[in-house]
Amino acid sequence: MLNITDLHAEIDGKSILNGLTLEVNAGEVHAIMGPNGAGKSTLAYVLAGRPGYEVTAGTVTLDGHDLLALAPHERAAAGLFLGFQYPVEIPGVSGVAFMREALNAQRKQRGEAELGAGEFLKRARADAERLGLSMDMMKRPVNVGFSGGEKKRHEMVQMALAQPRLAVLDETDSGLDIDALRVVADGINAMRSPDRAFLMITHYQRLLDYVRPDRVHVLVAGRIERSGGPELAHELEAQGYVRAAA
Amino acid sequence: MNVLPTVKQEEWRWSDLSGVAAALVQAAANDAAPDAAPWRVGDGPLWVFVDGVAVARHALGRDEERGGQPLTDDARGRGVALDLGAEHASAGLIEIVHFATGGVAHLAHRYALGADAQASVVETYVQLGDAPAWANVAVEIDLAQGARLMRHVRRFERAGAATETTRVRVGQGASYAGLTLLAGEASARAQTHASLDAAGAFASVDGVVLAGIAAKHDVVSVVTHAAPDTASRQTWRAVARGLGAASVSAKVAIARDAQRSNAEQSLRGLLMDRTATINAKPELEIFADDVKASHGCAVGELDAAALFYLAQRGVPPVRARALMTQAFLAQALGQAGDAAARAMFESDAFAWLEAGR
Repeated sequence: MLNITDLHAEIDGKSILNGLTLEVNAGEVHAIMGPNGAGKSTLAYVLAGRPGYEVTAGTVTLDGHDLLALAPHERAAAGLFLGFQYPVEIPGVSGVAFMREALNAQRKQRGEAELGAGEFLKRARADAERLGLSMDMMKRPVNVGFSGGEKKRHEMVQMALAQPRLAVLDETDSGLDIDALRVVADGINAMRSPDRAFLMITHYQRLLDYVRPDRVHVLVAGRIERSGGPELAHELEAQGYVRAAA
Repeated sequence: MNVLPTVKQEEWRWSDLSGVAAALVQAAANDAAPDAAPWRVGDGPLWVFVDGVAVARHALGRDEERGGQPLTDDARGRGVALDLGAEHASAGLIEIVHFATGGVAHLAHRYALGADAQASVVETYVQLGDAPAWANVAVEIDLAQGARLMRHVRRFERAGAATETTRVRVGQGASYAGLTLLAGEASARAQTHASLDAAGAFASVDGVVLAGIAAKHDVVSVVTHAAPDTASRQTWRAVARGLGAASVSAKVAIARDAQRSNAEQSLRGLLMDRTATINAKPELEIFADDVKASHGCAVGELDAAALFYLAQRGVPPVRARALMTQAFLAQALGQAGDAAARAMFESDAFAWLEAGR
């Protein structure tokens, strides 16, 4: 589903990704772990097409389509969802109105019929309740006044509404207490399916206790240094990145 | 002899009156029987003017129309005079639509509301054709004890210049709520001087300035707290793109014995392009010592992180910018006293944003 080959990327002329190669198949959950500054968030932003992140070499395809040739909103319509490490506050823009607009923009790009207000609200209410957010919160300006945990839950509600092909979750576990972590993990697990893949970026093994990955990769200095099964996460936790990656 | 103010005068430093000269030598076409329907907000009393002359009037309680012919027998033909007592409390939304066809038009409106009278007015200024026009409007407003006036002004002139000077006197317990939208391609200026003359008086002078192409819009808003226990608000949002310039100069003046005055002022500007200009000049002049005067002033661009967030969820860039700009304008447009007027203003602002130039 996702094929990344020899990806090089830089920010402000500084090289961050240095030949990253990764293949993620439909139905799989991959975890990307690594020390600070390894390029984990950069990988997430490059996949989503954030301005300022320049790809200097390599290819990325999603379902065979050249992802790098698409604008960020087109990547979303192609099925890419990015769960932000720091969800952005947007004063004045209602969360519900924004998500309905976003979903319908995606559907329009895919040539699908738009979701009516009633159908959308029904889905939004069900997904929000499952993740412990009230509709009152969903109607508030996007992420404004939300706690760290509420922002992450809001990301998961948006993911559930978007039903993406590939979800890239950038440190979704950061800022969550144990209970919130469990709710968010349940949300991810509920969405696992044979035709969807997850790329979870995390520092710690904690999230992986709840969402069991199929593959774990260690990212160091912009390259994948080691890959393995779920046991690799435990090894990293026990030994640290430097020894485990050596 | 040129008697127009110049940029050397502080209150006119950002005004662009260059379009006036072309209008002065332009003959009015004035042969149209304009259709005001597309510009209407409600279905209350309506006055229609062409080049400063009334051509149709639905007066309070009676209808009077003369097609495209000026109502020359009406001494008030060059403006609207509202003289309302308390019995007119539910006059509905009073609308004035002015069409400029070219040349110079001077309009003088006078709104006098007696004790406890209420009125809601929408003034819409538009242009027919592209001949340079200068519509110059003077408005005198007197609000007696307990009177309430909600006034909404929209300016959409395309070529030439558009100017307005409004003086408001607010009596005891009376309130004036003014909301202005400057969104034309011709440079427009809106100047308001509001004086809070007795205890309990309130005035809000709010608005939205949208300057695109090469329009240079400017606002001068001065609220004087002349008596104790008075309150005011000035909320302005300015957006400029292309070679547009939007300028807002807002002043709160609190007189020596105007104790317990409460003034709020918020000026914010949004630059859509690096070629555009926003000027914001907040002023406070306070001579009393027991007052509350809050103020904020900021000019910036749309938040790139938020735009990316919207894009990542699938919102196309043009729509993302429009959504965020609408949110930026919402605080000012939300001040419209009349729900129908607010919806119309939001729709006008949205149309300007969607036009994208």
